[in-house]
Amino acid sequence: MTFMHIGKDFVPPDVEGKVTGDAKYAEDFRREGMVFARLLTSPMPSARIVSIDASAALRMDGVVGIITADDLPPSAPPANPMLASEYVTYIGQPILAIAAISEHIAENALAQINVQFERRDFVVDPLDSLVEGGPDAYPEGNAMVLTAPEGDENTALVGRIQPVKWKAEEIAKFRRGEEPDGDFTAGWEYGELEAEFAQCDVIVEESFVTAGTPHQCMEPRTSMVYWENGKCYFHASTQSQSSVNNGLAAMLGIDPADLCVINENTGGGFGSKGTSYPTMGISGNLSRLLNRPVQLRITREEEFYIGIGRPGMQGWIKTGLKADGTVAAVDLIIVSDGGPTGQNSASSSAGHISVLFQPAAMRLRNIPIFTNTAPRGAQRGPGQNEMAAVLAPIMDKAANQLGMDRVEFRRLNAPNSDSGIYEAQGPVTSAFMAQAIDKGATMFDWQNKVNTPRRRGNKLVGIGVGQGYHGAGGYGYDGLVRIHPDGKIEIHSGVGNLGTYSYASTSRTVAEVLQCDWDNCQITHARTDRHLPHSSVQGGSNTIFTHSRANYAAAMDALTKLKEIAAGEFGGSVDDYSIGDERVFRTDDSTTGMTYAEAAQKAIELGGRYSGAEFPDDINPITQRAVAGIAGTGLVGVAKDNLERKGTPPGQIVGFVEIEIDVDTGKIEVMDYVAVADCGTIMHPQGFSQQMNGGGVWGIGMAAYERHVYDPQNGLPANVGLYQSKLPSMLDVPANMATAAADIPDPFNPMGGRGIGEPSQGCAVAAMTSAIADALDGHLFNRVPVTPDMVVNHLAGNTVNSVPLKLNTF
Amino acid sequence: MNPKITRRRFIKGVIYSAAAAVPGAGYYVATAASSRPAGAVERLISINVNGRTRRVDVLPQETLTHTLRYRLNLTGTKLACNRGECGACTVMINDVANYSCSVLTQQVKGKQITTVEGLRAADGTLHPVQQAFIEELSPQCGFCTPGQVVSAAALLIANPNPTREEARQGLSGNLCRCGAYDHYLNGVMRAAELIA
Amino acid sequence: MSSHDVMPDMDLYQPVQVEDAISLAARLGDRAWLLGGGQDTYGWLKDRAKTTEALIDLNGIESLRGVRETEDGIEIGALTTLTEIATNPLINENYSLLSQAAGRVASLQIRNIGTLGGNVSQDVRCWYYRRGLDCYRAGGNLCYADTPEGMNREHALFGASRCVAVNPSDTAPALVALEASMVINGDEGERILAAEDYFVGPAIDIESTTALREGEILTAVRIPSTWANATFYFEKVADRNVWDFALVSMAVAMKVSGNTIEDSRFVCGAVECKPRRLLEIEAAVNGRSHDGASAESIAATASAGARSLAHNQYKMPLMNNLVKRAIESV
Repeated sequence: MTFMHIGKDFVPPDVEGKVTGDAKYAEDFRREGMVFARLLTSPMPSARIVSIDASAALRMDGVVGIITADDLPPSAPPANPMLASEYVTYIGQPILAIAAISEHIAENALAQINVQFERRDFVVDPLDSLVEGGPDAYPEGNAMVLTAPEGDENTALVGRIQPVKWKAEEIAKFRRGEEPDGDFTAGWEYGELEAEFAQCDVIVEESFVTAGTPHQCMEPRTSMVYWENGKCYFHASTQSQSSVNNGLAAMLGIDPADLCVINENTGGGFGSKGTSYPTMGISGNLSRLLNRPVQLRITREEEFYIGIGRPGMQGWIKTGLKADGTVAAVDLIIVSDGGPTGQNSASSSAGHISVLFQPAAMRLRNIPIFTNTAPRGAQRGPGQNEMAAVLAPIMDKAANQLGMDRVEFRRLNAPNSDSGIYEAQGPVTSAFMAQAIDKGATMFDWQNKVNTPRRRGNKLVGIGVGQGYHGAGGYGYDGLVRIHPDGKIEIHSGVGNLGTYSYASTSRTVAEVLQCDWDNCQITHARTDRHLPHSSVQGGSNTIFTHSRANYAAAMDALTKLKEIAAGEFGGSVDDYSIGDERVFRTDDSTTGMTYAEAAQKAIELGGRYSGAEFPDDINPITQRAVAGIAGTGLVGVAKDNLERKGTPPGQIVGFVEIEIDVDTGKIEVMDYVAVADCGTIMHPQGFSQQMNGGGVWGIGMAAYERHVYDPQNGLPANVGLYQSKLPSMLDVPANMATAAADIPDPFNPMGGRGIGEPSQGCAVAAMTSAIADALDGHLFNRVPVTPDMVVNHLAGNTVNSVPLKLNTF
Repeated sequence: MNPKITRRRFIKGVIYSAAAAVPGAGYYVATAASSRPAGAVERLISINVNGRTRRVDVLPQETLTHTLRYRLNLTGTKLACNRGECGACTVMINDVANYSCSVLTQQVKGKQITTVEGLRAADGTLHPVQQAFIEELSPQCGFCTPGQVVSAAALLIANPNPTREEARQGLSGNLCRCGAYDHYLNGVMRAAELIA
Repeated sequence: MSSHDVMPDMDLYQPVQVEDAISLAARLGDRAWLLGGGQDTYGWLKDRAKTTEALIDLNGIESLRGVRETEDGIEIGALTTLTEIATNPLINENYSLLSQAAGRVASLQIRNIGTLGGNVSQDVRCWYYRRGLDCYRAGGNLCYADTPEGMNREHALFGASRCVAVNPSDTAPALVALEASMVINGDEGERILAAEDYFVGPAIDIESTTALREGEILTAVRIPSTWANATFYFEKVADRNVWDFALVSMAVAMKVSGNTIEDSRFVCGAVECKPRRLLEIEAAVNGRSHDGASAESIAATASAGARSLAHNQYKMPLMNNLVKRAIESV
């Protein structure tokens, strides 16, 4: 299909402000009377709060007030409370916030507050808690167990924190790399597992562990809040303009209609700002309590805690291949480190395998364990990307045992448009992974590279291939577009602005449908009171698919209304009309028609559904309020995405990498990187390149740098800052990364696109670990990150440092 | 430099202590200019930012980031780590890139400070780096961007025609969590062409 | 242990003469903190893990800046920035070992303000200590790192004495290799210490990495012409190529004639609380010609005597490998 706008670069409206410094983030807003809040946080991984005495602090000049859990509604574990009440369950957990006329006074005041604690046993490694006799992160236990309430078999299962323990010998078996026997609390299965394994020529069993790395967004999340006439105005750092409203309103105990969320720019989210989070509630409630504007900027260290992290995994996998190379069966065990919040992405980890290797039978057994480490939540490709990291070399090992080329093996097992995925083996909208693999193998020159010698001087050469997957899109959100009486076209978007520019590139769907000049369009976003429709979180790689559909629905509604208005004016039916040059006219006589501006004027006269005075009853209440706010101002196109659906839109990518490992220093250098996406139509080439490259950097980070370190003696985190978290710098990644796409449109998106923001990390980390194993003659570390010390130890034959399945490690 | 002439006075205390509150760091209202000890710096000082001399009331221990953001309302300079570990706060001091979070405002008296807001020409024309970063869509979330812009501008002052590797070195003290390094490098190379 | 971000109130002195700085330091004693580039200082103060009543900012003292030729080598003012050292022609031409080391410190912006004096006098980076815990080095009576479960990947192989932190400086091993001397001024006048004696381990002073006494200021570093234009080898192995401190570094100066290493200084960084001279390696290579095979066998003894901790055993082969590379580079 040839598009006017889709697939072409443009200048998103927010870019200029970013390069001039004019772009405003939450911390850049000031308001008369604004005070600064600071958090007092837990110094202990697990304790009971005995008492808080802030009287001395409150007497200090310049201190204006305090908020504790007593000022907030109660919350039950494992929900991450705004402020801890009786128990603290991690170092860095907010206990209270104190406000003063300067940050400097607020920080001085913290030292004057006396909190008495009663220490409790803590745990930082799930296996240390899962073993019989091990400590529990919560007084109630260490795992969330779903049980049926007593007496009524028909009610839904209820989650309760309870202790779950495995026998010491089962933990020991697990650590040795053998299949353990213990209780699990989650999982799924499809196919005939044992029967499939029985047909396999090659079976590989390995255990693995991945680190629970923090998000470390560049912007330490800040809120600046004020209340005016009973309404709350909230400058937030969030991945969503509109879908965060209900959660935040609940934290503040107000009607969402009384909340105005303002979010022009967000300094990174990566999953950590998808929903309302505790410091939002703290600052909003404190502002109301003090009746003053409150700014709460958290420190980089606090961002480590509050900014959450990816869950860690300790796992075991058994995978079986038939003689022809097809993956017949996969058996997977995952013990997740959910921190105090219990985030668990194991189903997505298993799903990653089910999509990309299409086993005939598969089983997941899973137990998420609470630990007294930093809170966890979704992070870029949750579940899938950490699975990709450890899976790739294990699958390579199996393919190598069959003597099969690793690329050919992946191509053979790749999903297509008829494939089923996950537990339910449900459908995908379309899939063209084999085409992406072919294109990537050619670009990378796989055949030649894989046959080159693996040694160059003191460097070992590794050639790797890996894949990333994430379900990239959703259905059923709303679009809202308005044609003004002066002919301007305004696209209302409630999508957050994380810097993917997809809020803008999906808005161009409207210009595409209405065949109008992009310069005549304006995107309105960033403030609730600008009348924004209900939109998804800008996360899960879903904006491209989800919101080009929603905007398409709204634009089609506007198009229909344009034609109806013209037909009313000039006779005939809507089928007799066409559009072009921002006019609607008779197809058989283009001189008979009207401009969009004239049609908008007419829409105002007509009222009703044309001007937004009436709207469809299936749109979300947020959208209903937005439409009501603009009714009568132009021709309003508004609709819920009721377009045809078919399962999951898969975002998938194959990555190829060539590395050199220095045998003396253990340093890994990336020499060449190629990634090819199966993401349908590329809607915005520069935005596509940004996500592919950025994910590549993340993949290299996960493979070789980023870490999560807790001291088991005291439960202390070692990597609270950027330097210790080891986010890759510009000199740790290649100066050039090549990216491309299979470029076959998805039939379930009118613009043909699917997202790729998340699998771009998965394919890179998988290709990296595949290449590391390749360079080291098939050696499997079965963990990430792979750091120079591990490589040096391996090459020197040292084994002292390797503690199997140890989760928190340098 | 090592605080050799101090004996270390740790104020955080032991982790096994039952109390979070620890002695030290007593509060007092910031020293007024009149009560400072003999020889210590004055609070009311002049600094030159983006070509303008500004009179500001600055605490002795105040960092330049804080002064720019909270006293002069130049919020383009971002505070992302406040520990010299990321580069989002990069400004030029006499045309050299520096982390403004890790320099005291009192140390820049008599020097020329250039922030991201000061790079545009007087008529509002974008600096070549800014123009190139737009054309290459260099920023993603944008939070590290002001620092990247300033580092790139400083690089091009010292070396108007860098190789890609030199550009990489010149921007290496600026972390980007979005991983937009490739696009930033493209931007620097394009900016060098615009300048030429 | 709440997190802090703003330095508490303190006084700031900005002397412009070194004499004034010395008398201030003498007058204020342990109530003041010397400030060079500040890149090690501000973190301590912002974290409020350490505090001070006053800062003595040395940056206004012009006489402490710059690189000068002397009768027998060069003298570098202690306040000279690392960027200047990395790019200065005098240093680059004759003592490139030092410019290479300076060029690998932290990041570009830190090198633009960080000073040589600060780099060689910086505090250790043990993460337990930097968190403000009450360890030996902080005046307490335990070490968190030297335990079976301690997270001590970045800690010392040698010279432990209650504390197992390493000296993190990149330039320190280079200065020891170049036989530099450190010019120290105090109330009682000037004294000069060999670089090798400037850096001290915990057995001598558990609270400091240097031999500087209270009230003293490091004013200059002198490099004799002894090793001018020698064959140099410098390598720093760190996790990331920017910001990170060395896991192990190696600074080597060698006088080579034909195939023979006539004299050498091998100095290893980040394995001890001071730069570690590898005297046995020097003895083994001096006066001998070497092929690759013997380089490997000699280098294998570089880490002899190491006492490794739970997570730092890799530093032994890494040391050996860097010594091997240094010899092979000839």
